[in-house]
Amino acid sequence: MKKRTIALLMSAAMATSMIAATLTACAEEGDTWANWADVDTSEHVVITYMTTGDKPEGEALENLNAMMDQLNAILTEKVNAELAIQFISWTDYLSNYNLTLASMDGSVDLVGTASDWLDAWPNAKNGAFLELSEDMLQTYAPATWASVPAENWEMCKYDGEIYLMPEDGYTQWTNHGFAYRLDWAREAGLENGVHSWEDMTTYFQHVKEAHPELKYMWDSDGTNYATMVGGWISSHSNYISIDGLNSGAMWGGTKETPYTIYSPYVTDTDSLVEFAKLMKEWDELGVWPTDVLNNNGADNRMEFRSGQVAAEQHHTQTWADLCSKNEANKIYQDDEDAEVGFFYFGEETGNLTSLNITHGAMAVSAASENPERALMVYDLIRNDQACYRLFNFGIEGVSYEVVDDVYKKEPEGYNSDTQNINGMTNFWWGRNDTLDLKNSTNNWEAINALYAKYDEVAQPYMYGQFVADVDSISSQINNISEIHTNYMKQIAYGKYSGTAEEIVAEYQQALIDAGIEDVTAELQAQITELYGE
Amino acid sequence: MKSKKATVKYRASNLTFWQKVYKYRVLLLMCLPVIVFFFAFSYMPLPGIWVAFVKYNYRKGIFGSKFIGFDNFKFLFTSGKLSVLTRNTILYNVAFILLGNMLAVFVAILLNEVRCKWFRKVSQTMMFLPYFISQVLVGYLVFNLLNYDTGLVNSILKSLGVAEENLFQPYSDPNVWPPILILVYLWQQTGYNSVVYFASIMGIDGEMMEASKVDGANGFQRIRYIILPSLKPTIVILLLFALGGIVKGNFGLFYNIIGTNSLLYDTTDIIETYVYRATMTDFNFSTASAVGLYQSVIGFVIVMTVNFIVKKIEPDYSLF
Repeated sequence: MKKRTIALLMSAAMATSMIAATLTACAEEGDTWANWADVDTSEHVVITYMTTGDKPEGEALENLNAMMDQLNAILTEKVNAELAIQFISWTDYLSNYNLTLASMDGSVDLVGTASDWLDAWPNAKNGAFLELSEDMLQTYAPATWASVPAENWEMCKYDGEIYLMPEDGYTQWTNHGFAYRLDWAREAGLENGVHSWEDMTTYFQHVKEAHPELKYMWDSDGTNYATMVGGWISSHSNYISIDGLNSGAMWGGTKETPYTIYSPYVTDTDSLVEFAKLMKEWDELGVWPTDVLNNNGADNRMEFRSGQVAAEQHHTQTWADLCSKNEANKIYQDDEDAEVGFFYFGEETGNLTSLNITHGAMAVSAASENPERALMVYDLIRNDQACYRLFNFGIEGVSYEVVDDVYKKEPEGYNSDTQNINGMTNFWWGRNDTLDLKNSTNNWEAINALYAKYDEVAQPYMYGQFVADVDSISSQINNISEIHTNYMKQIAYGKYSGTAEEIVAEYQQALIDAGIEDVTAELQAQITELYGE
Repeated sequence: MKSKKATVKYRASNLTFWQKVYKYRVLLLMCLPVIVFFFAFSYMPLPGIWVAFVKYNYRKGIFGSKFIGFDNFKFLFTSGKLSVLTRNTILYNVAFILLGNMLAVFVAILLNEVRCKWFRKVSQTMMFLPYFISQVLVGYLVFNLLNYDTGLVNSILKSLGVAEENLFQPYSDPNVWPPILILVYLWQQTGYNSVVYFASIMGIDGEMMEASKVDGANGFQRIRYIILPSLKPTIVILLLFALGGIVKGNFGLFYNIIGTNSLLYDTTDIIETYVYRATMTDFNFSTASAVGLYQSVIGFVIVMTVNFIVKKIEPDYSLF
């Protein structure tokens, strides 16, 4: 199939070179895509884009379709293709995502993926993604090819083949931490806000006394154990983790010696004990519901927006929204003094890693019947201003208005429940700063201040080219993940019985029994092979 | 009766296969949906067992992937949890099967003794209803009844003046869950299970009942000497069927009620929930199939053994 298309393409190229003069008219509108004139797009095709997210319903769906109609008109005109979206709903998203890819029935073409949270590499290894040759990328996704530097393409390779098109031109921070009420922190005597775990404790102690009206301080659903303990370790050591090995990110190196691999979960015993004690204290203070581990129905972020809770544990990007006076954040309407601060994990030790460029990336399904056209469509929605803005923000004047060329604001009569196209198409696999519009309602003063702080301390992700070969250690990793989850849920929510020392010792022994040291040794061997001594 | 059967058999054996097919076409037609069902869902996927022995690659397919022997079974055995998981799974199933059937027989007999027709219908329907409630909802129901902060049970206890520390804390206490889970299971399944027994009771020869009445047997004696013995084959067969699935846990029930609360795993973690958690993150078909195969093999051994024992004691009741 691929060969035939390329042959066709070459013969077409030869024929057309003779009448190239007639084509200059087409080439004028944008040199980047001039070569597409040679591509055979006579057959109209539908390209299905798969993304995580809940399918919109009712009026929201109608608005989405209205946008898609306009977008598809452009796509049909330019590449004789239209785009359809397949949603992988958030409930059990990882299973459903992988299952859809595994079916290999050609029902999806473009796949939004991520190396750290959507199994990009395991799927590439399992054969779910198409190898993207440089020729293919240059021909069918020329703008993307040109915009991604060579060293970044290197990070998208496994076994010498490119599988991913990275979102490497977009500024975002997805390091985790606590969003909290800055105004309440001031009441507690924390004039500059929360900047350490100890401050966080002070804050919770104050809120407990001063704000009994809250539903909970943090209506956690019991799933934040891994980020909590990971955050604690960042805040108390120089540990930096390798992404994508397991959800606990349990292996890595230090800032100083990134290629000496260890697991702080085995070595940093004192720190873990201290963590376990503090979390017990938080639990007894009533920071979260007593039955937090079964608290499945909770929607803490919504409750934070409406002022029913005092903290939200998530990443900087989420905080950037929460700290802004937009329509969804009801706290600002109810309370003029409301302010939301962010305590990021690793702040105490200045331990912060920039985002891996494959935190968001687009892949092409190996079962796609039209991979060439899929690349063309992707190239347009990633790089063509009209397509980009339609797909990301919706119809201008309905879903957004441009302010000063770089900002967007919500038009008159905007309804965030039904017209937020950005929250429906979930295009997190190819945004870029040159075409993006920032939210004018965002609290840029606070956000830029924090970003500036980040830029000072952040260091690049050190394992961008490392794709671990886990075949020989996957059964150990499975068991280690399970142990980590089981113990950390108890430790990070202070639900263990016995002393902190006992539970940590028991946890570490279980890790050792499950072979964590073999895994560390194997990873060390692979890292040494890739990066040298 | 017996001789008639024998002659049919004798005659049939003289016919060729196609003649037999033609002769029993109506019977076969009636069987067809079942045959198609089992063929499609039980026999056709059988070659797929192979996936448990390979490193599955989506593009190469099950038979094109690399053969790796028993590597996929490794994680199950190296976890050190297999014995606890198998124990929990089997003990819960033993409780479900024994208590479930006993209660179902009991309820069926009670229903049979109810003389007032509308009351019988109403109570049967009421008992049947929980069977149709989704396990997800059951999970939420249980949580809303039992959770510490806002649960119904604790709200009642609080209003009765029970002190904070004496309130019911099931979600931190693994020991209370076996009875709770069994109770929930019985609540959901008894209505449904009793139908089969109720139907068998209905099928008992009316002449026997009348004869017993003439002989002066009272209600209890009728149950003891007529109904229970008549139900015996049904009970044995249903038990045998159930035993085949004794290593297959009730995932919906456990996952929705316990969820991923690791505090409770000691007494509530079954093979299914463990495998779900262990394989969900890396989505490994091969390891999941390995576990499935492990369960099937154990289930097969148990059914064969029990059937063998039953055959020794009472050949008529055995499955084959």
